[in-house]
Amino acid sequence: MNAPLFGEFGKPEGERHRLGAMQTLGSPMRRYSPDEEVDYAIVGVGAGGGVMLQRLARAGFRVVGFDAGPFWDTERDWVSDEKGSHNLYWNDKRITRGEDPLALGANNSGKGVGGGTVHWASFTPRFHPSDFRVYSQDGVGADWPICYRDLKPYYELIERELPVAGPAYFPWGDPHGYPYGPHPMGGVGDALIKGCTKLGIGASAGGPVAILSASRADRPHCIYRGFCIQGCKVGAKASTLITHVPDAIAHGAEIRAHSMVSRVDLGKARRVSGVTYFDRDGREHFQKARAVVVAGYAIETPRLLLNSACPGFANGLANSSGCVGRYLMAQAGNVVLGRFDELVRMYKAPPAHALTEEFYETDPKRDFARGFAIQTVGPLPIAFAKQMMVAKGAWGWGMRRIMMDYNHWAAFGVLGEILPHEDNRVELAEEKDQWGLPVAKVTFNLHDNDKKLIEFGKRKTTDVMWAAGAREVVQEARYAHLVGASRMGSNPETSVVDGFGRTHDIANLFVCDGSVMPTQGSANPGLTIMAIAARTADYLISQGEAIFGSDRRDMTPPKFRRDLSPPDTWGHGVPAL
Amino acid sequence: MSGYYPGFHTLEQRRFWDARTREVILDRVHNVPPIRFFSEEEARLMEAVCRHILPQDDRDEAQRIPILPWIDKRLFDDSHDGYRFEDMPPDREAYRLGMQAIEEISRHLHGRGFLEIGDRAQDELLRTLHDGDPPAAADIWARMPVERFWMLLVQDCVTEYYSHPYAWDEIGFGGPAYPRAYMRLERGEPEPWEVEERRYDWSAPDTYVSDRFEPVAGKEEHRGGPQEGTH
Repeated sequence: MNAPLFGEFGKPEGERHRLGAMQTLGSPMRRYSPDEEVDYAIVGVGAGGGVMLQRLARAGFRVVGFDAGPFWDTERDWVSDEKGSHNLYWNDKRITRGEDPLALGANNSGKGVGGGTVHWASFTPRFHPSDFRVYSQDGVGADWPICYRDLKPYYELIERELPVAGPAYFPWGDPHGYPYGPHPMGGVGDALIKGCTKLGIGASAGGPVAILSASRADRPHCIYRGFCIQGCKVGAKASTLITHVPDAIAHGAEIRAHSMVSRVDLGKARRVSGVTYFDRDGREHFQKARAVVVAGYAIETPRLLLNSACPGFANGLANSSGCVGRYLMAQAGNVVLGRFDELVRMYKAPPAHALTEEFYETDPKRDFARGFAIQTVGPLPIAFAKQMMVAKGAWGWGMRRIMMDYNHWAAFGVLGEILPHEDNRVELAEEKDQWGLPVAKVTFNLHDNDKKLIEFGKRKTTDVMWAAGAREVVQEARYAHLVGASRMGSNPETSVVDGFGRTHDIANLFVCDGSVMPTQGSANPGLTIMAIAARTADYLISQGEAIFGSDRRDMTPPKFRRDLSPPDTWGHGVPAL
Repeated sequence: MSGYYPGFHTLEQRRFWDARTREVILDRVHNVPPIRFFSEEEARLMEAVCRHILPQDDRDEAQRIPILPWIDKRLFDDSHDGYRFEDMPPDREAYRLGMQAIEEISRHLHGRGFLEIGDRAQDELLRTLHDGDPPAAADIWARMPVERFWMLLVQDCVTEYYSHPYAWDEIGFGGPAYPRAYMRLERGEPEPWEVEERRYDWSAPDTYVSDRFEPVAGKEEHRGGPQEGTH
């Protein structure tokens, strides 16, 4: 067949704003004028900010979400192409340094409505109960001020809202099942399951991943095209852009895209009064707000707080602890690549579709604390070529030769817990960005436990690849995700926010993104960021007007709200749940 | 034509792609930008360097994938990947320093510029950068770690080469599949519109050394390469 049955696929007709193949933005968006005081200004509409915006709007608050990037139309803006997806990332200047400098940009950042969820591979495992008390249990890292039980109902809720596809029984951590059935697997998942099974390692096939394995409402099921991390044009992969933002707008939220917040402004009586931002033409504006939620992720959140230094907060807003920017974490993300005699074609199926958490917990038999997961990854040609450049030193004719075997390779990712360290941090550099704001300077060093864990994880993952039948196995050292740098804690001297994301210093300033995490486990952070956001939202809603007028810090846990989910959350999927 | 997928042409599938993807990829194929960042002299040097980083002598003239014009465009637009290693100059300066160093090494080894030494000598010269052991231009490498410059150069070249549909044909990558979908996920089977692999003994011309290599900067694992998002 040389042509589609009904002719070439043309441009989408009309002015409708597309959010996936079938869904469009239904309602016109409310617009607040800048001198109109809103209840909440949310800085960053990604995993945390997107869920927060939707909850607050549904609860009737007047809320504006700022994002430095575009409000994507998935049909007009996104492409099934690696190079053409460069604009999904935070590509502005940043400095990276330290003994083990982190790659930023495409590796771990988003810019635009949906944030990183636009290009996450969307593995959505929960954290384990042990992740919340690493210090008590292992004497390393830090304890969280909240525990697994606090988040459990929110995990269940967000798994429905996205929703997550995976096995009906997932055995690790707190065993649970998923609301949608697992996905069929591609060659990489088959290799992972085969290798694990041969070594007697339990593994999960077909999830957990926030990609529809069956259509739901206006969102079609996955078509296995493999371009998950280039943005899902299908609308099968969840991102807050398509799962939470439409509902937020339907309930009166405003999204102000192309708006780079440069400062959170301090008003009277140690309370913030709103945010200053640049619009896409570089004009500066001030938006009055009764409370501010910063959700810019682990680099932009601390950068914004540091850039908001003012009399009374000379070292950065809400930084009396000196912890803003500190305890930044990335996960070990070594990619182990195996070449097989048979064809794999790893560009098909979502990169994320099988994993094992058999090595997640501390094992006293090993010489390090905490652990790691092994997950499928599916690099497309450019990413794979770069991996071969590092892993094998390939170039020239050698690169051409290796790449001709692209279809014979499979790739697994180690996802290893790196502990929080004070010296891993975000600071301000001398250099300025296009708005004249000091850019972030990111320092990253591995410590002893991290190095041992990575070495072990790499070896184990290599074993699995050999057991799957690979003829050659190589690896690339790298890191995945970013969390920490504005961490939560009970002690105001060693943390930035409390268990509800409220800054210890300022009663109407909150942080709601991955930067609040004191430790990170070996689970991809997206689901946990959203679960924390939903819980923080319940708290803000339960506190009502008190947030805007009182400095009293009421630590009563909020009532769990099932009634604030986007439409179509309930009544679909696996009936057992 | 190299590769193990004779007769496979992803571009023939373009009517199955969505409009925006088709527009972006056809633009890449048909609208190659002019050289604006590099001077004429620099462009000649860089053209020769790219010809070694990603050699295409086996391709017909019409089937060669433009690499330098896109690197030039990136530098002309001053477009970034979102970070800069603290020990590296900005990309524009890195390229200018790198070209200067390559010329210096060539004069040091051969008493002539890079363009005047033979293919084999050019390949061997570039291999000293790959190995992290350049025999000259120490003052430049003090300002810019040679491994980082090497990776910048190679990653820019592979980005351009493997973003082109002709390269997808060569490696058997199916390319865009929205809205049509992939339906054969198992056992590496081709879609009805893909072709079966047909392997044969492929060898690089022996006037080059780049088909034999060790990991960058020797066996010891290099830290801090350019990492794409994976998981």
